[in-house]
Amino acid sequence: MKTLRQYLKALLNAKKLLAYTFLLCFFLWVTTPFLMILLKSVGRNWFGKLWFPPELTLDWYTWAITVTNIPEVLRNTLVIAGIAVGISTLIAIPTGWALGRRRIPGKEAIMSTILLPRMIPPIAYALGVAQIFYRLHLIDTHIGVAIAHVAICAPYAILVLSSTFEGLDERVLEAASVCGANNLRTFFHITLPLVMPGILSSIIFTFTTSYNEFTLTLMTYGPKTITLPVRTYLAVGEGYWEVTSALSMILIIPSLFVLFMIQRQVQPEKLVGGFKGV
Amino acid sequence: MSDWMIELVDVTKRYGNIVANDHVTLRIRRGELMTLLGPSGCGKTTALRCITGQNIPDEGRVLIDGKDVTDVPTHRRELGMVFQNFALFPHMTVFENVEFPLMIRGMNKAERAAMVKDALKLVRLEGYEKHYPRQLSGGQQQRVGLARALVYRPKVLLLDEPLSNLDAKLREEMRFEIKDLQKRLGITAVYVTHDQEEALALSDRVAVMNKGCVQQVGTPAEIYDHPATKFVADFIGLSDFIPAKVVAVESERVVLDVQGERIAVPPVESVHVGLDVLLFIRPNDVRLRAAEGDRRPNEVAGTIAKSTYLGDKFDYRVDVQGVEIRVQTHGAERFENGQAVYVHLPYERCRIILESLICAAR
Repeated sequence: MKTLRQYLKALLNAKKLLAYTFLLCFFLWVTTPFLMILLKSVGRNWFGKLWFPPELTLDWYTWAITVTNIPEVLRNTLVIAGIAVGISTLIAIPTGWALGRRRIPGKEAIMSTILLPRMIPPIAYALGVAQIFYRLHLIDTHIGVAIAHVAICAPYAILVLSSTFEGLDERVLEAASVCGANNLRTFFHITLPLVMPGILSSIIFTFTTSYNEFTLTLMTYGPKTITLPVRTYLAVGEGYWEVTSALSMILIIPSLFVLFMIQRQVQPEKLVGGFKGV
Repeated sequence: MSDWMIELVDVTKRYGNIVANDHVTLRIRRGELMTLLGPSGCGKTTALRCITGQNIPDEGRVLIDGKDVTDVPTHRRELGMVFQNFALFPHMTVFENVEFPLMIRGMNKAERAAMVKDALKLVRLEGYEKHYPRQLSGGQQQRVGLARALVYRPKVLLLDEPLSNLDAKLREEMRFEIKDLQKRLGITAVYVTHDQEEALALSDRVAVMNKGCVQQVGTPAEIYDHPATKFVADFIGLSDFIPAKVVAVESERVVLDVQGERIAVPPVESVHVGLDVLLFIRPNDVRLRAAEGDRRPNEVAGTIAKSTYLGDKFDYRVDVQGVEIRVQTHGAERFENGQAVYVHLPYERCRIILESLICAAR
């Protein structure tokens, strides 16, 4: 009996060890490239087989900020992301409501169509978009780039919101109306607070998608609409790896901020239907 | 002031081709607890939703407290309702949940706090004000639902299978608590359930529904002892239905022919000689004795086809010339399979059921 217990304990420990090993590997796998970029962005004369830069400096950041006109690039990126988020959310709320709460024939087919832009290679899609945009004079406009982004942002938003709305319990809304609340008050006191986490996470997801989008921007941008990912890519072409790394780091900061927001805002227990017993 | 708090008058509700309520007429007295009882799909929830206003009847009127509310939206009907799945607001604390109807009615804060406190005391949930619904057990959640329904003292309390999500023991406990609360507050209540035991234990009156029709309305004892239809008899408790033919109609009794034997039963209206009817009796009202000596009135001869020991009673299937009669006895006397017995159908326990009677709306 004792040996069996010891054996089980050892097995449990082995399982734990294995789990932690996997976790560590995953952590390294995700973080190592970032670490490399971080080191590259603050290192000088770091070539060859050296494991660590011989000199540390912040020069590349100064260079990146002055030479590549970060304020304007950042502004472009945020304006485009803002428009893309706005349009996507406006499209996704009614669409998500219809898909999540109404019985619609061919719901699956509609869903696949909506997800199509995410299924085909972005470059193929971007080429088509560019062809149309040249004719419509939408190239090198904030709204144009944003519209291109909507094609891949909206599917996310619709997916998130339709499941949010689907999880909204009809009987809870009925309870509100039996309690004496009219439609407007039910909406503001019950519906909105219940779907808010879903809307927030949809906004966060679409924002990061647009903020990080490269392929679609590359095919639709112009001198006035350079975004951070594109600027970073251009810096690679210019051959200054250290400046590129510094730009990448700057690109990461808002993403980390958004990640922090997700953790704070989207608490699973606040989501619709997150109560036990039912 | 009319005697009736709630009236459904000739209400018909259709969903496409399905008639969910077929000319339902129900009148519920002030301060009474009426149960709508029936299997799923019988139309009891549809009828309830006509009272709440979540359903608009295709035909007929709905009156609450004498006023026609057929076209009044749910939120202006001043109702309290308890839901099967509790339907609490998950993003609000217990206090905020119970406060919600008061807040909607624009009461001031001090008044609200006092009334919420009273309501939570009523359901014995003091001290849980700051909890969220998800932090409570099922029973506690349903108490919150009850407090929310009662807090603004509505005229009518509606309960839609409020206990079916709770475990058996809690269900029985809550059953009496709800009954007690309803009586203490003197509130008119409509209780929807498919559980016949719950209906009999709780109700002042029961409306048994099937296939969109009200089959019978009556006190639990009336429903149990004098079922109007085969469905009602079958749905509530165990039943024997014995095919019979009317052979004599007298002032004191009706005589039936059961497999060639004469059985006297209490008289009923609308039977005539030659009519095919069903003789209904509860299996625990039937008496058995060993087949010795002469048969007495209302006894038929049969043989024990099957016997089952049920702990506190025996369950026999007796074969009476091809007709099976189920008998439950509590007596010490045991009968063996194949034994010849006399089956006594006591006159005062026998009922005649007309098969043709399906929709007996009252």
